[in-house]
This record gives sequence, C-alpha cells and structure tokens, in this order.
Amino acid sequence: MDRLPLLTRRQAVSSLLAGSLLLPGLGGGGAGLWAGETPAPTDPLAPRAPHFPAKAKRVIMIYLSGGMSHVDSFDYKPKLYSAAGTKVNNKFIKRPDWEFKPRGKCGAQISELWPHLAEKADELCIINSLRADHGNHFEAALGIHTGSVTLARPSLGAWVSYALGTNDKNLPSFVVLAPELPYAGGQVWSANFLPPCHQGVRITPGDEPIPDIIRRLPTAGLQGLELGLVQSLNQRHLQGRPDQALSGRMDAFTTAGGMQNEAPEVFDLTTESDATHELYGLKRGEKKGFAWQALVARRLAERGVRFIELIDVGANSGHNWDAHGDMATHTPLAKNVDQPTAALLTDLRQRGMLDDTLVIFTTEFGRTPTVDGEKNKGREHHPNCFTSWLAGGGVKAGMTYGASDELGIEVAEKLVHVNDFHATILHLLGLDHEKLTYRYGGRDFRLTDVAGNVVKDIVA
Amino acid sequence: MSQSPIIPTVRGRLLALAAAVGLAGCVSTAAAADTAGIDFFEHAVRPLLADKCYSCHSAGAKKIKGSLRLDTYAGMIGGGESGKPAVVPGKPESSQIITAVHRSTEDLAMPPKEADKLSNQEQADLEKWVAMGAPHPEANGAVAAPVVDRAALMAKGREFWSFKPLAEVAVPAAGAGWADSDIDRFIAAGHKDKGLTPTPDADRRTLIRRATYDLTGLPPTPEESDAFVADQAPDAYARLVDRLLASPRYGEQWGRHWLDVARYADTAGDSADYPVPQAWRYRDWVISAFNRDLPYDHFIRAQIAGDLLPAGDDEERRGNLVATGFIALAKRFSVAPEREKQLTIEDTIDTLGHAVLGLSLNCARCHDHKFDPIPTTDYYALYGIFDSTRYPFAGSEENHRPFDLVRLVSEEEEAKATGGKAAEIRAEQEHLQALWKERDGGKRARRKAAEKARLADHGDGKELKPEEQAALAEQAKKDAEAHAAEDGKRRDDGAIKHEIEETQKRHQGLVDNLPDYLQAYAFAVGEMEQPHDVQVQKRGDLSKLGDQVRRGFPTVLGGQKVAAGTTGSGRLELAGWLSEPSNPLTARVMVNRLWHWHFGRGLVATTNDFGTRGAAPVNPALLDWLAKRFIAEGWSVKRLQREIMLSRTYRQGWSGDEHNRTIDPDNTLCWRFDRRRLSAEEIRDSMLAVSGRLDLSSAGPHPFPPLKDWGYSQHVQFFAVYPSSHRAVYVMQQRLRKHPFFELFDGADTSFSTGVRASASTPLQSLFLMNDRFVFDQAQAIAERAPGDAAEQVANVYRNVLGRAASADEVQVASTYLARFQAEAGAAGMDAKAGVASLARALLASNEFMFLE
Repeated sequence: MDRLPLLTRRQAVSSLLAGSLLLPGLGGGGAGLWAGETPAPTDPLAPRAPHFPAKAKRVIMIYLSGGMSHVDSFDYKPKLYSAAGTKVNNKFIKRPDWEFKPRGKCGAQISELWPHLAEKADELCIINSLRADHGNHFEAALGIHTGSVTLARPSLGAWVSYALGTNDKNLPSFVVLAPELPYAGGQVWSANFLPPCHQGVRITPGDEPIPDIIRRLPTAGLQGLELGLVQSLNQRHLQGRPDQALSGRMDAFTTAGGMQNEAPEVFDLTTESDATHELYGLKRGEKKGFAWQALVARRLAERGVRFIELIDVGANSGHNWDAHGDMATHTPLAKNVDQPTAALLTDLRQRGMLDDTLVIFTTEFGRTPTVDGEKNKGREHHPNCFTSWLAGGGVKAGMTYGASDELGIEVAEKLVHVNDFHATILHLLGLDHEKLTYRYGGRDFRLTDVAGNVVKDIVA
Repeated sequence: MSQSPIIPTVRGRLLALAAAVGLAGCVSTAAAADTAGIDFFEHAVRPLLADKCYSCHSAGAKKIKGSLRLDTYAGMIGGGESGKPAVVPGKPESSQIITAVHRSTEDLAMPPKEADKLSNQEQADLEKWVAMGAPHPEANGAVAAPVVDRAALMAKGREFWSFKPLAEVAVPAAGAGWADSDIDRFIAAGHKDKGLTPTPDADRRTLIRRATYDLTGLPPTPEESDAFVADQAPDAYARLVDRLLASPRYGEQWGRHWLDVARYADTAGDSADYPVPQAWRYRDWVISAFNRDLPYDHFIRAQIAGDLLPAGDDEERRGNLVATGFIALAKRFSVAPEREKQLTIEDTIDTLGHAVLGLSLNCARCHDHKFDPIPTTDYYALYGIFDSTRYPFAGSEENHRPFDLVRLVSEEEEAKATGGKAAEIRAEQEHLQALWKERDGGKRARRKAAEKARLADHGDGKELKPEEQAALAEQAKKDAEAHAAEDGKRRDDGAIKHEIEETQKRHQGLVDNLPDYLQAYAFAVGEMEQPHDVQVQKRGDLSKLGDQVRRGFPTVLGGQKVAAGTTGSGRLELAGWLSEPSNPLTARVMVNRLWHWHFGRGLVATTNDFGTRGAAPVNPALLDWLAKRFIAEGWSVKRLQREIMLSRTYRQGWSGDEHNRTIDPDNTLCWRFDRRRLSAEEIRDSMLAVSGRLDLSSAGPHPFPPLKDWGYSQHVQFFAVYPSSHRAVYVMQQRLRKHPFFELFDGADTSFSTGVRASASTPLQSLFLMNDRFVFDQAQAIAERAPGDAAEQVANVYRNVLGRAASADEVQVASTYLARFQAEAGAAGMDAKAGVASLARALLASNEFMFLE
C-alpha cells in the first residue's frame, strides 16, 4: 500500500495543538488533558465482532440513480433482437441498443455498454433475478437502501455501522460520496431510529467535502490554541463530574480535530501515482466525476471506513439513468462509471483488499423490455426484474445467478427480492439479518422487516 | 411513467409474517420464567420453523400435513397422526422432529425436498433447543401465539398495568426531614426501599439556570441570576417558577415539546416535499395553548375534532379549526398523495396512538397485535373514522397546487382573498378529484387483471399446478373482456388525461396570482359527506378486504362504537373517548411526558410506548397519583408542573453519591438531578441570546416561493433553509431533508412522533462549533459588546456566556490566552477583537455552556 503513514488520533491532536500553551491551573496538559480519549465501553462506533466469521469487512456500494436498464447491460435476451418490433401484451418489443458478448473465462454476457467492466467479468457475481417493490423512483430508491418503500427506515449503511462499528474514528463509519441528491434525498442514508452516529455523512466533491471541515481561523496554530482552551475548560469542568457524556463530548472534539487533519489528506489525491490516475481515468487535479468518487472510495476503505456508498448522479432526470426519452443517454453515463468501477476492482485486487471488501453495484429498478410506441427510443421503469452485481468479499466470482424470462420481463428462475439481496449482503459481512435488530417504538426492527432469505448459492 | 400502488405486494411474505409473530412481534412476558431460553426459541428456532415447516404444519397451512402442527407448543408435544411427539423436551434423540431434519432415514426426512433441508447450523439450533428442554412461551399453557384467542387476549390485556384504571394511592409517610411535598414522599418511599439517600439541594445559581432553561429554553440573564441569588425571601424560588410559567417564552419551549410528539413539519413529506404554508398556524396554536394553559383534555379534543367543537367566539372557532392540523399534517406519500390516503391514515393513527395513548396501534394494520391487546379490527375501527375525514392536500408532483384547504377567514374576506372566485376555485378542485377518480377506477381494474394474467403466465415464482394456472388464465381473460366492454362505455384515458391537464391549468390560473389566497385558509380537516365504516385490509393490502368493522375505539380501552344513525365521521366521539377521565392511558401518558421533559427520564422510560414492549414504570404509585391529580386539577399542565418544580426532588443537586451510584447507576429513582445536554433549539437560541441577536417576536408564516413557481417533483424536490434570528421553534423544518442544524444536533424527527430526543455528541457537532459561520458570528457579536482591558473583557465574556463571574484564576489564565492568541491573530491579519471572539467561541463550545445540571 502506498498510503501515507497515518497519525494516530492522539498524534493528530497533539500536532493540531502544536504550539498550544498549557494553561497553568487548567488541567495542566499531558495525559490528564485527554481523560476522555480511551473509547468508552459503550462507544457506539467501537469495532464489534460480527455474528459469525465472514470474509467481507467493509462495503463499497455503487448506486446508479434513475434505473439502469438490465436488458441493455448484463441481462442478455436474444429474443429482444430477433423479435424486435413485434407486439407482446399490446406493447412493442424494443431492441437493445448494444450488442452482448460472452466475457472472461466464465463467459458471462455483458454488453458493449460496459467495455471495462466486461474485462472484469471473472470478478463479478451478476444477479439477473432481482425484484423491487415499487415502480416509482422515490419509493424504489428508498427500497434498495432501506428495505422499505413506504416509511423511512435506517439505511443499509447505517445498519452495517450499527452492527460492526468502525476502525478509524477520525472518519465517519458510513460515508456517502454524493455529488447530487438522489430520489428521497437524505432518507437513503439516514440512521432514522438508529443512534445518529450511524447516519451516512454525505461528502460532496469540491472544496468542502464535509460540512465545516475547513478551518475558519487563518492558521492551524490559532485553532490549536483555541481547541486547547476548550479542552482545558472542559477538563477543569470535568473535575468532580465523572460523567461519560462530558468526557465523550471532549473525545468528540479530539476526533473532530483528527478528522479535520485527516480529511484533507484523504481527499488529496496528489500522492496517487500517474499509473493510478490513468487506471481510473482521472485527470490529475480533477476533484469531481465518478473517477474521483471511486478513487476516494478506495482511500476511505483503506482507512477503515466501514461502509462507503457512491451515488452516481442524482434525482435530476435530465442527466441520470432514467432513460425514458432515449436509451442513448445511458452511453455517456456508463462511460463515466465503467472505467472507474473496473479500476476500483483492479486496484482493490492489487492491494489485496478485494477479498475483504464487498463491492455492490446496483440501481433502484430496471427498464421495460417492451414499450408503448414502436418508435420509442427510451424505456420505462421496471421493478419486476432487474440486475445488480456483487464482487469481492465472500462472493462467488465469475458467476451469473438467476434468470429472467426470454424477454427480461419477469423473473423466471431464482427470484432475489430486495429483502433477499439485503439479507445476503448482511450474511457476507457475518451478520444474521434476523438477529440484527433494533428496538424502536415497541418493536424489534430489522433491515429485512419480516422477510428476506440469504442467497446461499452465491456465497463462496 | 409507470405507476404502481404503494401496497406491499411482496410474495413470500405470508410465511415470513408468521415468523414475525415471534420476531418483530411480541414475546409474552408472563408466560415463561426462562426468558433466555424463550429468546433463543424466538430468534433461532421459531423463524426456522416458520420458514421450513409452517407451510405444511401450522394453522396457516392449506392442509395440515399429518395433522401435525408445529406452530403451537401443544402441537409439538402432542404430535400428529403418527401419535409420536414431535418434540420431547430435553430429549433430542426421542424427538421425531430431530430425526426428521437429520434425514438419516428415508421415511422420515423433512422438509420433503432435499433442496430445502436445514443447514447444519439450523439443525444444531433445533437440537440445542430441544436439549434445553424446549423452552416455549406457551409451555405454561399460555395463549397460542399464531392463533389468537381474542377474548383471552383481551382479558389478559386488561391485566397489563397500563390498561388498568388509575389506582387510588395513598401518599406514603416517607421522607420525614427531607420531603417538602407529596411528590417527595413518593420519591422518598422509593429511596427507602433501595437504601438510597437524596442529594443535597442545588445551589441557587444552578437552580435558576435549571429552572429557566427547563421552562423557557433560554439561559437566565446575568441580572436575573444575580437577583435570584441575592433574594433570600422564603418564597423566592416559588416566585421564580411563577414568573417563568407566565413568560411567553414558556409556550415556545413546551409547545416545541408537543410539536415533537405531533411530528410537526412545514412540508408535507410527499415525494417532492411540498410546502405547507399554513402549518405555522398549528405551531402557533400549540404555543399559545401552552401559554394559556389550555386544559389538556380540551387540548386533545381540539386537535382531533376542533372543527366540530362549539366555540365561544370567532377567535376560538378559528383556533379550534387550526388545531386539527395535528391530523391534517399527517405525512403524505408518493407523487400523488391523495391516491395513497391509506398511508396518510396510517400515519395519523400511528401518531395519535403514540402521542395520546402511548400505543403502537399500527402493528395492527396487517395483523392482530400479538401481545398488546389490539386486534386488526380495532385498527380498522379507527381507520373508518379517518377515512371519513376530509384531509387537505398541499400539492404534489402530479398536481402542483393545494386543494381542500379549509376556509379560516370570513366569507367576505375569502371573497377578497380570491378575487371573488372562491366558488369557482372550489368547483375546479372538485372537478379534478372527480376526474382522478374516473381515471383511477379504470386503472385499478386493469392492474388487477394484468396481475392475474402475469400470475397465470409466470406462476409468480411459485410452482402453480396446471389447473390453478388455467383457472387464473381463464379469470384474467374474463376480466380483460369485462374491461374491454367497460372501456367501451368509459372515456378514453387520453381524453381524461387531457381534461385533467386543462382543469389543472384553469385552477392554477385562478389561484396563482392571489397574494392573500394561501393564508385565508387553514391546513385543517373536515368531515366527508358520506361517513362510512371500512373493511379490514388483510395484511394491510388494500386489495384484500375482510369483514367490515364499525367505527369505534380500541376494545381494551372501552370499545365504544359510533352510534347508529350518527352523521359525522366519528372524530367528535373519538375526541371524547380519548379525553375521558376513565381512559387509563391519556393522563398517565401525559404526566409521564411532563416528568420526562423536566427530569430527562420518564417514570416510564419509553414515553411513546406504554405497551407490553415498553418499559415498566419505576414508581407506578407516583405515576397514578400524578395522573389522578392532573385530572382533579382540571387537566392543568402548569399546575402540575409547578408542583413538580417546587418539589425537593426537582431541587436536588447533580452530584453523585458513590453509594447511590452503586445501587441505582442510572438514577431511575431520582436520587439526584441528571445532567443533560442542551437540545438543538436550546443551543441555537442560547447562542443568539448571549450574543444579543435573538429576535423574540413571533415569526408568522415562512417566506415560501409564490404559488406560481410551484412545480416540484421527485426529480426537483422542494428544499430551502431560511435564515432566521427568531427562536428555533419558528425555523422552517422539512420532512424529506432535515434542516442541517437540527439534524446535526438531534432535533425531532419530522416524520414520526418523537417521545425522547437523542443527545449524542458527535465529531460533526464539534466541527460546527469549531468552524461554522454561525458560531463565529455570535462570538464576534459577544466580543464587540465586551469593552475595556483584557481582564474586563474576560469578566464580561464569562458573565455574558456562562452567566457567572469568572474566578480570579480564570481571569488570569484567560488574559494570558488573549494576549497569546491576539499576538498570533494580529500576525495573521485578524482584527483587534479576534482574541476575545476566540475566548467567546471556546466558552460557547464548552461543556459548561452545553450542559444543564
């Protein structure tokens, strides 16, 4: 790994406080000043063991907002080509805009829409039999993230953070790289009724990726002075008040200092080699685009962030995967995502991290194989059957699982409902989706509510 | 765009639902001593039985194979046709079920298909459970879980503490030498039982800070603190409490508490989160109700049925109308919320249940509540009341303008606000609704037929027998023919769509340029023209209807029904039932809330849940005494609060006695006053208050964009953050995207009733205090108001921010700090006040400022 040696939290804060005066009579500095630093046993973000041993230790989830067409990408349906233009159920069969080919040793069918990912076919476990509960973006986006299409519930990332905690307290446990807001907005990364520390922290590309992460005081020295004063005041206040809420809050300042120190380093890609930039297709100095998101995701994963979600584009149907008007709008979107995603897999593999990182590639629903008008260029929403893939930690590689019918309209074999998908993801992390519960409003809630079956056939 | 209804249509849920009985549902508390064993059964065994066995061996099976039921304890022990017990507690080797799942003999291998066989882990769990003695909630002859005996459940339910009538309790003769009041005597009795001793009284400066924050959400001014500390009159504290209860700031703090419970928001929560520009009136009504000390029973009645209550004058009439915002502000769903009214009704019942009764009624939407005595029929008895209620709609992706708002002003004023077009506007809205109905009627029927056709084609993933498939296909064909015939009579979809668009255009043309239009109306509810009972929706699915249920009140709370011949929805009756003194929950739940908001912990810790899954009361006698007293004192919130605050219990200090801490580490028995972090509102308002920038006037409506600009959709949602220096309760808060500040500091959930706020300290909060412009602005203002030399500046900032004098060593240290900081700041080009501002920021960020004790 070519990452910089990282400062420990204590070192980070000491360096932040470099030059801070030790105020006489106010706690006196040294270890006593940092009485709150040892994580309290009840620290909700402390790393925790899973229910049973598992390979995947962390997750990188890629979510394409708007609904990626399954029949144009990973679900090859020859009949859509041979019977194009004919009618079924009063609708016209629409020919996919891209050709498919068998790829890799496994021979998985992947279309020309994804040339780089096609090269990675032997790493993927493609699921062609997913089903969602709703045909609207808003509800389906909630569904793929929270398992519920109606009421807001905690997000998958929040559940995982709640279950497993995190390894680097200088960074949030659940990070969402989202340049734009998706459908249902922040509800898709919400902790909802789980403790708020499990909420996804949204990072937006640009100059202030995390709110208030940029020091407002002109010099680090000044901020070090001020934080030193805060902690000294708190240390003095703590005398005679053995209260975890007080020391915990002091700890939060220490972590914030660490975060402020570490975050710029995480987002500073200058230390990445030219080869890496090239692999991801990222121009040096560029601070946005999916390649930026993918590379930052790898850096966050290296630092121990438990759940990293990359949201591609957002709710604005003008430029997302919601291709009602013309399937050709998938072309530039895929071009933006294809190479960086393939690069992420290569990069993780090279660094020995793919075995314990679960990569999820998903969307809220697929797109209709048939359309109302013979000349329609686009496809509509299709929750009954769609595609996602998994790769890495504990997943069978080079596999295509489940099948749709000959037109890609309905699931024909091995249905994987979104609840099953979630149950399987938790299983790959060593979590039993029926045991991962949280008591709220008189009920033990689960990510999978009252449903969900682990798809054991795809577990390596 | 494709549309499908928001109904859980997920297949395979049937079985899972059976599993939910044990999992998400509720475990009998009375049934078993061996809770760990039961827990193991519920989490490891029942789900696997439900998953692998129930489809043939439970009450829910189409045909119970071999007459063996595994969904009851009796069935397991008794066995089926074979006569051998499936389970012999403690003896796996003699238990048929273990032999079967091991598949060691061919005649007894279960489940029948090899592919479904239990995993090794599952086999081990099952065996372990039998070896443990097969602990089961029904082992003591308790009610069978999957098949509910309603009468027995109800009888058992009435035995649960919270459903019992309020008890007559005598004030204990405890606490001699310490107790000042009856409340203290109850608390002292609890202490005596456990060997606890109360903490000595808080000092006066602590006490005024505590009381002032508690009742107003603001810190006392330094002058107020000094005066109180100096006032040695015996009634000084009582006068302080009275002054604070009479302050207009009181309603802003306590009204906010209720708004938490009422899941108040300024937007609707639909997929585009449309603004509700009238919501503020409900907010202000709640604030005013607390300030006026409106009796709580009336407070509840007005919120449920204010539109139907008699009013003394026009102001009261308007207030009553606005009060129904409690119902009207229920969350909206989807791109066309009027089409998903069942979800808005669910939100109404859920909120009503939690807020007023402390009950999760919504479990009963899909199935009988398994251990709380709330059957599905009770849920739909309430549902009928709200289905007979007319809700206003704020606007949505499919219809960008509000409709069914309720006229608030006089007819003359309405005429003025609508340019004389009120009747036309209403007519267009009614026309629109008729058109939607026409369109959806056809769609729904077609969708059902299509679903049947799909099932026939694909078997829906299940293996359908050929004859089943044929029957479905036949039915689908018939339906399709019927629709074709109907379609012949029906207008073309395109024509309806066109007319909807034209009507919407006309409607928009009428309302878009009327500046006073929106505020002439309230976001309130009314009665439907044809009130009606509804049928049970099986498993919460609108398309699977069961028995019709008479509108009424939950059985366990009395089960009153709407009388035959009643012309209204039943809301008026419901308002009465809820506020009956004989209702065991309404008063208990509210006095517990008051206790929670004063002490940071309720006598029942789960303030929104008084059901069997909630916490048990720590001092049940006190709870009932408070509830009785509350009712006897005319449901006066202020009187009860005064009594609580004057108690010695409330006046205790915060310090922790080592001995007490060992016995009751969580202070559940109130042997001291618990420190708490300030709420989001308190943090913001305090900073503005100490910087001298808090605007104490009422804020009125929010500056939402004008109606003509409303075109929000799920793609481009409404979102705004309006800067304000008014109190936090007046800041616009949305449903889909929370206001960033309130999200950061654990503000209330705007979509669900919030009974207890979180108060986590997170690094992101620290970053806010370190770097946010808001904090810098307040600190700068504080610094600019601090004159003199360094020592004077320090004294001034300490006094303003912390409300107390700085000690000599604090002055000395802070002066040293100022000099050091200012030198570096000057070098970095900052102004002469930079050091003082830094000191102010450090104090604003300090634990002393952030915590109340």
